[in-house]
Amino acid sequence: MAKGFDIDHLAKLARLNLTAEEKVLYSNQLTHVLTYFETLAKADLPVNSDVALVVTEKALRSDEPGMSLGSDAVTKIAPASHDGQISVPRVVDDES
Amino acid sequence: MAEEIYQLSATEISSRLAAGKLTSRAVVEALIVRYHQLNKKIGAFTSLDEKDVLAQADASDARRKAGKVLSPLDGIPVAIKENIAVKGQPLTCSSKMLANLVSPYDAHVVEALKSAGAIIYGRLNMDEFAMGSSTENSAIQKTFNPWDLACIPGGSSGGSAASLASGLVPLALGSDTGGSIRQPASHCGIVGMKPTYGLVSRFGLVAFASSLDQIGPMARTIADCELLLKVLATPDARDMTCFDSTQRSQLPVATEKSLRIGIPKGLLGKGVGAEVAAATQAAIDFYKSKGATIVEVDLPSSELAVPTYYVVATAEASSNLARYDGVRYGHRSANAKTPIEMMTNSRSEGFGPEVKRRILLGTFVLSAGYADAYYVRALRARSKIRAEHLAALEKVDMILSPTVPTPAFKVGEKVSDPLQLYLEDIFTIPANLAGLPALSVPCGKSGHLPVGFHLVGAPLSESKLFAAAQLFESAHSFANQQPTL
Repeated sequence: MAKGFDIDHLAKLARLNLTAEEKVLYSNQLTHVLTYFETLAKADLPVNSDVALVVTEKALRSDEPGMSLGSDAVTKIAPASHDGQISVPRVVDDES
Repeated sequence: MAEEIYQLSATEISSRLAAGKLTSRAVVEALIVRYHQLNKKIGAFTSLDEKDVLAQADASDARRKAGKVLSPLDGIPVAIKENIAVKGQPLTCSSKMLANLVSPYDAHVVEALKSAGAIIYGRLNMDEFAMGSSTENSAIQKTFNPWDLACIPGGSSGGSAASLASGLVPLALGSDTGGSIRQPASHCGIVGMKPTYGLVSRFGLVAFASSLDQIGPMARTIADCELLLKVLATPDARDMTCFDSTQRSQLPVATEKSLRIGIPKGLLGKGVGAEVAAATQAAIDFYKSKGATIVEVDLPSSELAVPTYYVVATAEASSNLARYDGVRYGHRSANAKTPIEMMTNSRSEGFGPEVKRRILLGTFVLSAGYADAYYVRALRARSKIRAEHLAALEKVDMILSPTVPTPAFKVGEKVSDPLQLYLEDIFTIPANLAGLPALSVPCGKSGHLPVGFHLVGAPLSESKLFAAAQLFESAHSFANQQPTL
């Protein structure tokens, strides 16, 4: 089982900034954990797996409007809002 | 010495309230005094709104006076883990990420408790986002084991277990993804159950690993734990995995026939402490003396349980925690000029080390080139573990083991070695992977620290587990032991 990983790539995928110290720490710890995971690579495992724990025949609800929080409650817990809408840093640059 | 109010079980409080010998206000006032005496020392509660809980108690007493009691839990305080939503109260998950979040709604279980008249009593500390086995990963505070303040209480529901063991509250809610109710229950000498996957709605539980997470009851006695579960276990269409009424009507009931208890082959071998092994063996011998048939069961894939769990749980966590992007709620970095910077900086500032470690691990096992080797194989292993457990539970009513291999360890002892901490969950994880109900029952001591044994049953066999545990509890004094504080 391959256990090599690129910590910079992983951090980028996970949207995390890591300090140089954290990169070393997490690399070492993850290598240790992944080595332990090698028992999975050696195991004789079924090809077809069924991991459904509950019957989910009714997993989809009918397509009707349901309860929601409302914009006041939502904007109240948002980090920043303006005129009943959540605001974020500019996504699209000005045309220039 | 007369029994103090804080020492009473919920069942006893309920009967004294019904008999008019006690008021809910008197219970809450006694617990608030206890809270001021001990909470700083134990660190179990992260917050308690005294005015609010007294008002709830007065409302309950008024209902009782008017002959409008809602249920046996009416007027009884139930404390809530920090990852379960209570409208108008903090929902921090013990993380800086959600430090300022006040929940705009109630979880299904909180609605159920309110409908039953229970007092929603304070918020309990936990490992950040329920990731940990020691409650050392909380960004708010540490929680200590009431039996030895130098030791961890277990986790992630460490605040729940410590609050019960120290007499700060008679009932508490925890959540359990890999043992987070049962492991701290064992370490603190109390009772904790992870119900069958699907029995209790997770609506309002902050998601960690959705195919494993369950909310469950924690208490000082088996009867209390069962009483609390009855209120929690109701249908809820808002959690698509929650059983509907038809599925619940198939719930098996405990029968009088002789118990058949399975003991995993090679159970008390490597890694299990001598005193934990002795306490577990004594529980097995007890059941034998009561006429139970003890059968050895073979669960060969159990050795795969820990790696399987940490692949599945971290994969799901990396996906579930992607929602913390600084946009809609939670921490937003003040140092961001672009949306990507906002997401990355907010997450880096808001998450603690264990959460980052698990997100990285989960991201890796799902990433291109590695998903087949890790995630897909873990799903296959999970399927095998579940099949083996279900086959064993065709032959026996339940499987008995220790809850945790060793007693509570010293605070800080395993901080630098995550793998050692992951191995704490070796006996509790299979029940989550297989979706089975499981219960930790106090059964003795290792030195001065409590230990528990663990019962796992077939899906929806909660009542059988409670009946077997009650048989043990009634013949022993472990449920009445309380630490000197």
